[in-house]
Amino acid sequence: MILGNYLAAVTLFCLGIYTVLTRRNLLKIVMGMSLMEASTYLFLLSLAYRNGSTAPVLLTPPHGQTPQRLAHGNVADPVLQNFCLTAIVIGVAVTGVFLAVVVRIAQHYRTLDADRVRDMRG
Amino acid sequence: MSGRPEPFEDEPRRRVVPGLLLSAGVAATLLVAVLALPRGDNPLPAIARRAMTVALPEWRTTEPVSEVVYGTRGFDTFGETFLLLAAVVGVGLITRAREPRRGFIGEQEAGRREQHRTDPAEGGSADQRQAQQAEAGEEGRGQGAPSPDDEPVGEPGVERAEAMTVVVRAAVRTVAPLLAMAGLYLVAWGYSPGGGFPGGAVALGVVLLVYVSLGYRRVEPWLRPGVIEPVEMAGALAIGLIGVLGLVFSGSFSANFLPLGPVQTIRSGGVMQAFSVAELIEVSTGLVLAVFGLLGMGHDWEPEGQGRQGQGRRPPGSRRDSR
Repeated sequence: MILGNYLAAVTLFCLGIYTVLTRRNLLKIVMGMSLMEASTYLFLLSLAYRNGSTAPVLLTPPHGQTPQRLAHGNVADPVLQNFCLTAIVIGVAVTGVFLAVVVRIAQHYRTLDADRVRDMRG
Repeated sequence: MSGRPEPFEDEPRRRVVPGLLLSAGVAATLLVAVLALPRGDNPLPAIARRAMTVALPEWRTTEPVSEVVYGTRGFDTFGETFLLLAAVVGVGLITRAREPRRGFIGEQEAGRREQHRTDPAEGGSADQRQAQQAEAGEEGRGQGAPSPDDEPVGEPGVERAEAMTVVVRAAVRTVAPLLAMAGLYLVAWGYSPGGGFPGGAVALGVVLLVYVSLGYRRVEPWLRPGVIEPVEMAGALAIGLIGVLGLVFSGSFSANFLPLGPVQTIRSGGVMQAFSVAELIEVSTGLVLAVFGLLGMGHDWEPEGQGRQGQGRRPPGSRRDSR
């Protein structure tokens, strides 16, 4: 069941890698990076899943359970959800810096084609 | 449209075969790894179990995810915050416009007048003049009607109004305060897993809604970097201070040193809530700075034929917007 999520994450990641490797448009390369980031979110959240579990929230537990019992019960992994939050923030930061660089490259070289940006070619 | 090759319409790809091979290799490796992963039938790891059991008695919070973010992994969150800060500083640095010189004495205007007198035709290619005119048009904001409602119907050409129609503006005026309040509520009562991070994203959403619907002029007075940057630095300083105070009073970085309020109140969670609010300030202002830095990137036009000489440059006249 959750294997489908894993496979989707792998597919997304590889689509992102393929985009980064073969595209020449810098914006599409950034989009490929974002796709790879998004696949890690899906992967981390899928990894946090456990069969029959509830959300790791101690507010209004289901079926008349007390929060104390829920804390020892079957819940999704809160640590991996935290990793996902961290990954999202880092993804936003990376994408923002990349986009700023791409806009400057576009202004400087008047092109978004990575193959035409070769002033630093040794 | 002319018969020139359009580089982005029919985008040539590069290294398709190595790219395919490498992607397939990564896919195969990841598949092998993923197939060996537990599929939801493993016991909860010890650290997750600890976060679950510690949340209520030690932090009085009903959100174990927030407890992990601001309590157990507080130091990681500290580092993550400063990573975000570094990214925002980087974006600000890259997007920084040309600094206005102090003590302007008007030689640019004088030079333009003299240029006009001696050689009015000079001034770069037609493309460059067009680009400069477009930029001048963008800089002279407000030349169009302030709202599309004031523009005559059926005008040809691009709509130049800054704001959106009265329907959108009225809706945003109603919704924006509610959204802002919802975001603050999520942070203040600690009901959102992650606290300040989603709250900061909500704040950015509100600012962008107002910007898009009411126009830049309405957000300009309080969206100046001179206002937002000190607020962001104050947020970062507060985060550092909270961590250090934990070290001073409780013996470890970002440990709790505040009295814990009852569960599900604004004071439950102690230092966690303070951390979360500081994170809200830091994240919301940081995201706003980054987004508006990107939106407001000035043009960096360089006269054609000057500066770099290289094959990498496209020949003059091959710009895409050949209208």
